[in-house]
This record gives sequence, structure tokens and C-alpha cells, in this order.
Amino acid sequence: MNIENTQSQMRKGILEFCILSIIRRGEAYPSDIVEEMKAANLNILEGTLYPLLTRLKNADMLTYRWVESNSGPPRKYFSLTPKGEAFYGELEATWNELANAVHALATKV
Amino acid sequence: MKKIININFHSRVVPIEESAYEILQQYIDSLRRHFANEEGRDEIISDIENRFAELFSETLKKGAACITDADVNTIIASMGRPEDFGDEESAAAGAGADAGQKGSYSQQQQTYATNEPRRLYRAENDKILGGVASGLANYLNIDPAIVRILFVLMCFGGGAGVLLYIILWVVLPTKSLPPAARKRLYRNTDDKVIGGVASGLAAYFHIEVWIPRLIFAAPLILSLLASIFRHAWFDFDGPVFVTGGFGGTLFIAYIVLWIVMPEALSASEKLEMRGEKVDLESIKNTIKSDLGNFSRRAKDMGTEMKSTFQKTGEQVKQSTQNFASEAYPAARKAGTGIGHAIGVLFKAFFLFIAGCIAFGLIMALFGLAFRGHNVLTIKNFILTGFWQNFLAWTSFILFLIIPIVALLTWLIRRITGVRSRQHYLAYVFVTLWVIGLFCTLGLAAMIINNFRSRQHVEEEITLANPSHGKLIVKTMDGKHDYFDGDWMFDIDWDNNRPFYNCNDDSFALNTVRINLVKSEDSSYHVRVVKFSLGENTHAAHENAEQINFSVRQSDSLLALPYGFTIARGQKFRNQKVLLVVAVPVGKHITLHHSVDEYRWFSIDVRKSHIRWNKRDRWDNAAEYGWDDDIDVDNNYRWDTDVDYVMTNDGLVSTTRRSVDHDDKDKKKEDRRKKDNEDQDEDPGYRYKRPAAPAPPKAGQDTVKKTAALQAVTDSHLYLLSALFQ
Repeated sequence: MNIENTQSQMRKGILEFCILSIIRRGEAYPSDIVEEMKAANLNILEGTLYPLLTRLKNADMLTYRWVESNSGPPRKYFSLTPKGEAFYGELEATWNELANAVHALATKV
Repeated sequence: MKKIININFHSRVVPIEESAYEILQQYIDSLRRHFANEEGRDEIISDIENRFAELFSETLKKGAACITDADVNTIIASMGRPEDFGDEESAAAGAGADAGQKGSYSQQQQTYATNEPRRLYRAENDKILGGVASGLANYLNIDPAIVRILFVLMCFGGGAGVLLYIILWVVLPTKSLPPAARKRLYRNTDDKVIGGVASGLAAYFHIEVWIPRLIFAAPLILSLLASIFRHAWFDFDGPVFVTGGFGGTLFIAYIVLWIVMPEALSASEKLEMRGEKVDLESIKNTIKSDLGNFSRRAKDMGTEMKSTFQKTGEQVKQSTQNFASEAYPAARKAGTGIGHAIGVLFKAFFLFIAGCIAFGLIMALFGLAFRGHNVLTIKNFILTGFWQNFLAWTSFILFLIIPIVALLTWLIRRITGVRSRQHYLAYVFVTLWVIGLFCTLGLAAMIINNFRSRQHVEEEITLANPSHGKLIVKTMDGKHDYFDGDWMFDIDWDNNRPFYNCNDDSFALNTVRINLVKSEDSSYHVRVVKFSLGENTHAAHENAEQINFSVRQSDSLLALPYGFTIARGQKFRNQKVLLVVAVPVGKHITLHHSVDEYRWFSIDVRKSHIRWNKRDRWDNAAEYGWDDDIDVDNNYRWDTDVDYVMTNDGLVSTTRRSVDHDDKDKKKEDRRKKDNEDQDEDPGYRYKRPAAPAPPKAGQDTVKKTAALQAVTDSHLYLLSALFQ
């Protein structure tokens, strides 16, 4: 039982929720997502993000379109599908419940 | 000093240091292995590669001359290596059962790194069936394609390969293996005569380049020489050296290899082509050194297996505890060694069946394509004009040869695992084949048109009355010797075919039928009716007139030709000869068994089918519907080698068979004297078909009665006649 393992387990659970909440605000490019998460002090490897996005896309949560880029090959911009929205909604509810519960438990005197 | 190569990376040309390229390649490979079980693997890899390409072009935009090792390493660091994000994303995937698996995966990675002595595995990352071949190739450090081809050869050569493969499939553990010797078959375009296939093979096997060249060229040269000699003595028809036997096989093999083997363009591909030295010696050494510590490895394997089972057991237990609902798939995956083996056997069985079917199809196509050469001689007698010949050749090549080449190409590509660089190839094949299909249809339509119209010519011969009131009809078994036009693909049909002989100069038919009718007067008559088809009435008439069927009488013997020939320049238009023999009342007739050789068949394009009768049986009204204009009334059923007498009621058998001498003597008394002279000339007559029953099925009303009498000896004929009452 080491502390790092537990920490990463905790982070893992909310990864999808974080990514979806970034994409929900508008079309997003994977490396932008990484930047944004870094800025919020949530470090994620780009190599971890791509499989996750692909899985979400294959589950019809996300969709993407190709956008021409002047700095290389065309980029994939991801956005939420209605199904993804619903999914996000449920995650959000769960998160709020969890946060409240955890907060209540942790701060109980 | 470093070498810089240009790579085409996601449709961007990227100058990159060769060592950096190696690093990149290894990284991508490691990703590929990591995501081996992932559904969207290719997409993930492609996305990551895309990101690489983007970062590369940013670096280059900043003015860098090329991508260096450092650049690649930086990007990889920001991407993360598979071992870094190993468990980070597995939980995110939502499948809790995955966790255990991933753990064992990284463990496996570790054992792989430390476990230096190599072991035989099945490659799970590079497989067609079970990865046995590529595992072996990895073990022996050779191109998997070679092992696969050997396996296929072993399968067709006795089936040992199938068994061996299945055993290895069941026995060997799987593992994601790095590609062994980076060595592949390439075409060496630096040193080419035609396509560089031979020199590519030579480079791969480290042999002198002239050896494969000679192997490819020898049959070609030989058959070319043979064709020239044949041309000098005989006649030459068509490109035999392409389609003929062994030479043809190698010719096609060369073409297929040319299509399948990628060209060695870049420096690294050229390096791959040569690779490290692979010969029997090095393979032997590998096996030897491994056999040396075989027992130790066997022990290792035992302990490893034990620990593996324990581990999987623990895993199952753990995941059952932790993820009760989700443990099922994991448990199933881990705990069903036997189930796996059974599954493998079933898979192998079905693949075997499918393979057999495919093999049969290929062989049938081969047979058609190669034996189709035989049709060449016949085609001269069927086709007219340039267009039909042109269409015939086009359909032969496009319709029959193309699918074979395509199949072989597909097969070898599948075996060698070559990524198809040219997507257009399939379209080209399909297009050519469709063209071939249309050619075939067009040809068929044109040919059918040539058979549209039917005409006949009649010729009446009055025979001199034979001296003893009996007529024997037989064919003159002349020596129908003909010259073999083709020493390799001789038409060797037995006599049971309507075309009993065919060569370039003549095409012999025996579509002849004999009808017996009652004569109006007191003498024998023979009416020869010649039929032919043609594209119009005139042509059909002309064709019919050209039939040469001369009947000869010498006293009691009516000699018929064995058939008739269609000479060069004339065409086959289903020519037929109907011989109507009129027998006067009170006179006898016998048909010698040699007339059994006649084969009568009708092509009727108006009814769009071909009718093929063994011999004339006028018992089905529908059957002679085609020539209503011919007088077919009053004709009688007959068998060969039976003596018939014509009565007012019709044809009646004299019920005696010429079985033995007694019979013959009796017959001699009954008949006139000279009878036996004719028969003695024909020694086969007496003994042939002695038991042939002779139901005198004469006339409509007598048939039932006589047939019933003969029912015991001739039940099937009885059934026939009863059916047609």
C-alpha cells in the first residue's frame, strides 16, 4: 500500500470527467486538453489521452472533425455528442455527491 | 556524423537522422504492442503519429535542418512510454478486470527483458492464424514469410504441416514479440533485368544473383526452344511457353512475386533486404545452442508454468473478490486452457475446410486455364472472323487467368504480410475481370447467333436387294489415324465423345443416328438426312451440304463411315446425319454393335439448352420436336446385334441371338446360305453382347405385350416403355 498508487487511483477516477468537462466548453484539440489540465495542476501524459479519447469516441460520447492546420497535418478537434452530454451530466451529479460526501466526512469533527 | 534519411510520415516529408528514426520506430512498435488488445489500436497509433508529425513540422519550421535523436526523445517524454501510462489509463477504461491483466503484462515485459535465452513463443502481435509461423521466424531470426511458405508447402505436401501447426498452436505460449531480424524480401531495383525479383531473392538468401535468375529463366528458355523446334516440325498454336506446365508456373510465380514484393527504395529498406546473414549454418547453430540447455529450459518452463498458474489463480481469486460482477471475463480468459485448445482445434478445422474449398477452386481454375489450351484446336472450328477470335483470347486471359493471378497475389500478400501499397491493384484486377466477363458474354452471344438457324439436306439411295434377304448395317472401322498436333496437350478423348478426333486439319464428328422404318415397296432404301445449324438459313443449308457421309453397299453389307469430318475452313455447327433405313416386309436387318459408337447430340439455342442423347430412342415425342419436318413415323426401336425381320405389324426380333455355333447353324438354315460369310469376316460379332435381349418393341400396340414378356431379362427397358405408353 503505497501513497503514490492510491493517489494515482484517485486521479484516474476523475480523468474522464475532467476531459469531458474541458471538451464540453467547446471543440478541443488533444494537446490543448493536456495544456489545460497541466495548468489546472492535473498532469496527464499525452499518450494516455489518445486512447481515452478514442474509447470515448468509439462509445459515441465524442465526435470529431478534421481541421486544417498550418503547422503540420490536419488536426482532430473533439466535441461532445448528445449521448456524451448525458453521460457528462450523470458524472457531474455523481461527482457533486462524492465531493459533498467526502467533504462532509473529512471535515466532520 | 550521422546519416539523414527522408521519411514520408503522415504525408509529410520529414528529414530525420537514421538513429532518430530507429528510436521512433521502436517507440511506435512498443505502443503497438501495448495496445495490442485495444479495439481502436490503429486509430490511437495514427493519432499519436499525427501528433508526432505536427511536432516535427513545428521543429522544422523553427529552422532545424532535420529531426534529431533529442527531438524524438523529448516528444516521447511528453507522450509517455507505455510502461509510464500502463495502469493510468486502464482504470479509466472502466474495465476493472483489466487491472490484473495489465499487471501481468508489465510483469511479462520484465521477464522478457531478463529472460535472455530465447524461447519459442507464438507471436501475438504478428499473426495470421495463431502466430506460430512468426514465432518460429522470430526464434530462427528469419523473415516470417519464409516460415509461412514452408508451412503452406508442408500442408499441401502430405498434411504434416497442418498437424504440426495445430500442435504448436496448442502447446506454445503467446507473447508479443519484437520483430526478429529486420529482414524482408524486397525487389532489388538497383540490379534488375525485368523487375529485380531474382536479385532481391539473391540478396535475401545471400546467393549469387545468377542462381535465381537461371531458375526462373531455364524453363522459359527450354520451352521457347521446344516451341521453336516444334514450330519447325509441327504446327505452333498459341503461347505454350506461357501456359505450359512448369515454365508457366514459374512465369506466373515471377509475375506474382513482382507484384507482391515491395521495392527496396530507401537506404534502410535496402539494409533490411540484406539483413544479417541467414543460412543453414546459422539456423543450425541457433537450434544447437538451444538444444544444449534444453533440459534446463524445460525445467524453467515447468516452474514458470506453475507460477503462471498460481498467478492466474490468484488473479482470478482477487478479481472475483474485488470485482464480483466484472470478474467473469477475466476468469474465463485465465482459466480455460482446455477451452482454448478446443477452440483452436475448431478454428483450425474450419480453416482447414475453407482452405480445402479454396484450394479446390484454385485447382479448378488452374485446370480450366491450362487445359483450356486444348480448346485451341477446337476453337478454329467454332469461331469465325477476327472478332470472335479476339474475344476468345481476351476472355481466356481476363476471365480465367486474371482470377488466378489475383488469388495468388492475395495469398502471398497474406502470407508475407506485405501491406498493400497499391490499392489500385484490386480495382485493376476487378476491372479486367469484368471486361473479361463481358467478353465472354459477348462471345457466347456471337457463337449462339451462329447456331440460330437449322436446315437439312436429304439424299435418297435405293439399295440393290441383298442376295439372301438380310441387310447388315455396320461401320467401317477404318484406322482413323490422325497426327498429334501437340505433344504436350494432346486431345486424348476416348471414343465416347461426339468429337472422336480433333486436330488442326479436321474435326471429326460421329453425330449419326439410324432409324428403321418400313419400306413402301419390296426393296431396301436408305435416306441420308444431313442437318446443320448456321447463322441464317442459307449458311445452315450450305453447312449441311458440305457434310460428306457416303454409304456403301456390298451385297448384304451396308457399310457406313465411322463419322464425318469437318475440314479446315469449315465450322462446327452441330452437323448431324440421320440415316433412315427402310426395310421391306419379310426382309431381315441387323445392326452391328459398331453403330453404338455413334453419338447423337443436338444443340438447340432456341430452347437454350444442349441435348445429349446416347443413342436414338424415339420414344419421347418431345425429343424429336426439333425436326418436325422430317418423317419420323413408323420407325422402330432396335438394339444392336439382333436379327430383326420386318412384318406388316412392324419390326420383330427373330428372338434368336447369335450366341454360339448352334444358334448360328440354325440361323443358317432359316436364312439363306451366304449369311455366315459376311459374319465370319467380323470375328467380334458373335461374342459381343451375347446376352443382349431384344424386346421387339414394334408399334404402339405391341410394345406392352412384348415388353411384359421380356420383363425378366430387360426390366429397365420395360419400365421405360411402360412409362411412355
